[in-house]
Amino acid sequence: MTKREMLLKKLSTYQFAVLDLQLFLDSHPNDSATLEKMNLYKLKAEKIKQEYEEEFEPLQKTVTQGNNWSWITGPWPWESEENN
Amino acid sequence: MFVYEKKLQYPINIKNPNPKLAKIIASQYGGPDGELGASLRYLSQRYTMPMPELKATLTDIGTEELGHLEMVGAIIYQLTKNQTPEDIKKAGLDGYFVDHTMGIYPASAEGVPFTAAYIQSKGDPITDLHENLAAEQKARTTYDNILRYCDDYDVKDVIRFLREREVVHYQRFGENLRLLTDNLNEKNFYAFNPSFDKACFKKTKANKQQQ
Repeated sequence: MTKREMLLKKLSTYQFAVLDLQLFLDSHPNDSATLEKMNLYKLKAEKIKQEYEEEFEPLQKTVTQGNNWSWITGPWPWESEENN
Repeated sequence: MFVYEKKLQYPINIKNPNPKLAKIIASQYGGPDGELGASLRYLSQRYTMPMPELKATLTDIGTEELGHLEMVGAIIYQLTKNQTPEDIKKAGLDGYFVDHTMGIYPASAEGVPFTAAYIQSKGDPITDLHENLAAEQKARTTYDNILRYCDDYDVKDVIRFLREREVVHYQRFGENLRLLTDNLNEKNFYAFNPSFDKACFKKTKANKQQQ
């Protein structure tokens, strides 16, 4: 696994926790303990996302780096970096 | 609106191409119980859902299914990389190849193109939620069937993740159905369509605000 993939996996892990808890909150909107947990993981995910985008390419178009359009750089989600 | 994030929900790194396996997994892209049908079903049904919890669940699960569609596409793409026309023929994919080369096309494992006839949007939340509960179980069985033919860890690991999500979605839809019926006049749930006949809701303050 490359460093890029490792960081991406770490991000996906936290993002998944956020997504799954948010889905639970859709049908349990008054569960404040779950809301708190979701916010905790969201903060962690945001931190790693920022770290990733500083070191590698942007994950969303809202992030621009330098003076060229970096959205088109880096591998696309369906491309495996190791098995090209 | 939808905002794209340039990553998969769960990582996919397949070392060994296997076009034969790709052929059966393709059914979860555009087959009868696949991810394309799932996302269209929920994202279409959500408009007429009568409660905020239901609208939120359908929006969020429908969106997640689009992410799963992308994942299944990535599996097929990686399983069919660097193949010769001979490899493709040996895997029984020559019929697919002649129409699509190695492009990703939504069809069932037997090559039936995707059709909206796979899904329903009935405009009745009780009916739609039952359809969704069934859809999640049908997709779960399909992933179970795929796992019977799958001996590559790289693929198995991802299929297991997708299978597990079907189980979680089933759970959430079950809660939605319970939330809905708890909110209805319990004399006869089926005498009314809760999206069309407003009189079927219990007379509470919260319900008055919603309608």
